[in-house]
Amino acid sequence: MNVEITDLTRRLGRTQAVAGVTMATGRGVFGLLGPNGAGKTSLLRMMATVIPPSSGHMRLLGRDPGDYGQRKQIRRRLGYLPQNLGYYPGFTVVEFVEYFALLKEMPAVGVHHAVAAAVERVGLGDKATAKLRTLSGGMLRRVGIAQAIVNEPELLLLDEPTAGLDPEQRVAFRALLRDLGQRATVIVSTHLVEDVGAACTQVGLMDRGKIVFQGTPDELTARAEGTDAAGDAPLERGYSAVLAEARS
Amino acid sequence: MTAAPPVPVPARPVRPPRLPLDAAGRLLRLELRRNAMLWMLPLAAALFWFVTYRRSMAYPPLWNVRAMTMQTAGVAVFVPTVVGAAAWMGSREGRHGMADLVACSARPRWARQLAAWAATTCWAVVAYLGCVGVLYGVTARQVAWGGPLWWPAAVGAASLPAFSALGFAAGALRPSRFTTPLVAVAAFLALELSAQFIHGDQSYWQISPLVAGPWEIGPNEGVGTFYRYLPDLPIAQVMFLAGLTAALLGVLGLPTGSGGRWLRRSAAAITAVGLLAAGTAVALAGTGRLDAHGMIAIPALRDAANDRPIRYTPVCSHTPIPVCLHPAYTIYLPAVAAALEPVLGEVAGLPGAPVRIDQAAATYQQGPGNSVGIRRAGPPLSGTPPVFHLLLPNQLPGPAMATSDLTAAIRTTAGRDIVASHRRRSQRQPGAAGRHGGHSRHSRHGAR
Repeated sequence: MNVEITDLTRRLGRTQAVAGVTMATGRGVFGLLGPNGAGKTSLLRMMATVIPPSSGHMRLLGRDPGDYGQRKQIRRRLGYLPQNLGYYPGFTVVEFVEYFALLKEMPAVGVHHAVAAAVERVGLGDKATAKLRTLSGGMLRRVGIAQAIVNEPELLLLDEPTAGLDPEQRVAFRALLRDLGQRATVIVSTHLVEDVGAACTQVGLMDRGKIVFQGTPDELTARAEGTDAAGDAPLERGYSAVLAEARS
Repeated sequence: MTAAPPVPVPARPVRPPRLPLDAAGRLLRLELRRNAMLWMLPLAAALFWFVTYRRSMAYPPLWNVRAMTMQTAGVAVFVPTVVGAAAWMGSREGRHGMADLVACSARPRWARQLAAWAATTCWAVVAYLGCVGVLYGVTARQVAWGGPLWWPAAVGAASLPAFSALGFAAGALRPSRFTTPLVAVAAFLALELSAQFIHGDQSYWQISPLVAGPWEIGPNEGVGTFYRYLPDLPIAQVMFLAGLTAALLGVLGLPTGSGGRWLRRSAAAITAVGLLAAGTAVALAGTGRLDAHGMIAIPALRDAANDRPIRYTPVCSHTPIPVCLHPAYTIYLPAVAAALEPVLGEVAGLPGAPVRIDQAAATYQQGPGNSVGIRRAGPPLSGTPPVFHLLLPNQLPGPAMATSDLTAAIRTTAGRDIVASHRRRSQRQPGAAGRHGGHSRHSRHGAR
C-alpha cells in the first residue's frame, strides 16, 4: 500500500477539517469526491506533507512523513497539484517545470529530458518557451500537471486537476490519469463525478471531514439502486444517495 | 495531453543546456535568468551615472578621490535598488501563492532561498563592478601617477550581499508587495543616518560602508598619495558586512520549515558566527584613530609598513626656482608654477632664498567633535640650501577648485608664505627656520 492512513484528523482553527479519516490505497487512480468544505483539500495537503496532521497515523510510500529524513524521501517521489496553482509569471513553461524538477531533487542529468517529456505529455510542447503570464487558465492548469508529473512520482496528488480544462483536454487528461495509475498511486480530488467514472479504479466520498464511502465506481453507482437520489448520471445518483444516507 | 509512453522529445522548443551543470548550478541559472535585479540594472546604471559618475568626474583625476567616491556615493546609489530587488525576490513565493507547491518539495526552503538571493546578489555585484570598471577605466586614462585603489571598491562590493540579504530576509519574512518599497526606503534612510551619528575618530558608526575616511572631510585629495591608503577601516567594514550577510542568511534558515535539524543547526551556527564577526568589526571600528596621514587607523589591524612614505619622483617646472609637485598632481604644475612665478622671480638669487619649491604632505589631527585640523608637515622652509615646502590648497578638504581659483589661492597663501619665510630666514641665523602653522582648516561640510 502506498497510502495508509488511520484516524487522521486536522483542525484548522475552530474547524475540524478532517475528522478521523482511515483509508488505504495502492497503485491505481483513487477519486476523492465530496461537496465543498468536505475536507478533501485538507486531506490532500496532509498527504502532500504540506501540513502535518493534528492526530492520527499516516504512512506514505511505506515511510513516515513525521520524520524529516523519510519525509524528504517521500517528497522526492511525490507529485502535487494544489487547488490554487501559484506560478511565477515571468517563467516560461519549461523553466517552471524545470524549477520544480530541481526542487524535487531530480538528478541533474535527467532533468532536461524529464522536463521535455512532461511538457509534451500535457500537450504544451508548442508552448514550451511561452511565458506563463501569456497562457490561458486551462494551459496553466496543464503546466501545473506537468510540474506534478515531471519526476515520475510514485504518489501523485491532484486537487481539482480538470478545473478550467475544455472537454477535449479533459478527455486527454483522463487518459493520462489512467496511464499514470498503472505505475503509481494517483489521488484525484474532484467535484466532477464523470472524471471519477472515466478514470478512477477506486473512489472515496468525503463529507464533513470523514470518508463516508470507499469502493469502486460501480459500487458507488449501485448505492443509488432502490432510492430516489437526484442526479443525471448513475454515478451522480450514487453520490447523492451516499451523501443523503450519511447525513440522515 | 497524451497517455502513451514513451514520449518523443520535441525538437524545437526545449533546447538542451549548453553547459552541463549540477542541480544547484541549474537552479542558480534559472534564478539569474528570471531575477528582479536584472530589471533594476538600467535604473542602477542611470543613478550611477547621475549621482556617482558625474560627482566623481567633478573631482580632479586622482585615484584617491575617485575611488573613495565610488565607495561613498556608489553604495548609496546601489543600496536602495539592491534591497528593493532582493525584497521582491524574497517575497515572491508569498505574493504568487506558491507556498503549498514549494512546501512539498524535497529541496529545503533555505536552499532555494539561497539560490534566489545568490542570483540577486550576483547581478548587483556584476553591475557594481561594471560601474567600478567604467569609473576606474576613465580615471586610468586621466591620472598622471599611481594605480587604482581597490579597498573602497571592495567595501562597496561587500555591502551589496549584505543589503541584498537584508532585503531578501525582509521579503521572505513579510511577503507583501508593500515590503519592497518600504524596506528599500528604510534601508536607504538607515544607511544615510548611520553616518550622521559619527562623532570623532573613535566612533563605532564608522563601520558604515558610506565611510571612507574621517567622515567630515570625506573624499580628500590629501590622503593615499604620499602614504599608502590604509586598509584598516575597510578591513573592519568588509568583516562587518560579511558577518551581517552571514547572520541575515542564517536567520532565513532558522524557522521550522527551512529544513532538517542538521540544516537548522548549521543556520544557527552561521547566524552566531556572523553576529560575532559583525560585532567584532564594530568594536574594531570604535578603536579607530585619525592618523597623521588622514586615514582611520585601527591599532589591532595596524601594519607598520603602511607608515612608510611612498617613493616618487617629483615633476618640476622650468622656472628660475623650480616648483616640484608630487607626480599625482602633475595637472596642477603649470597653474602652480604660473601663480608662483612673479614671487619666485623676485626672490630668485637673493641670499637665503629657496632653491626649490617642493610639495609637502599634509598632516591631520583630530579636533574636538568631528573637526579635523590639517596643516603642512614641518616648517615651510628647511634645509641647506633652503627648500620651501608647499601645501597645495587642493590637498585641503573642500570642493575641487577651478584653475583660476587655484592660482588665486596659491598667490595669496603660498606666495605670501614664500616671501615671509625668506624674510624671516634672512633675518635669523641660517637653519633656524621658525615654526609656522601653514594651512589649517576645520572642516564642517558634508563628506560626500
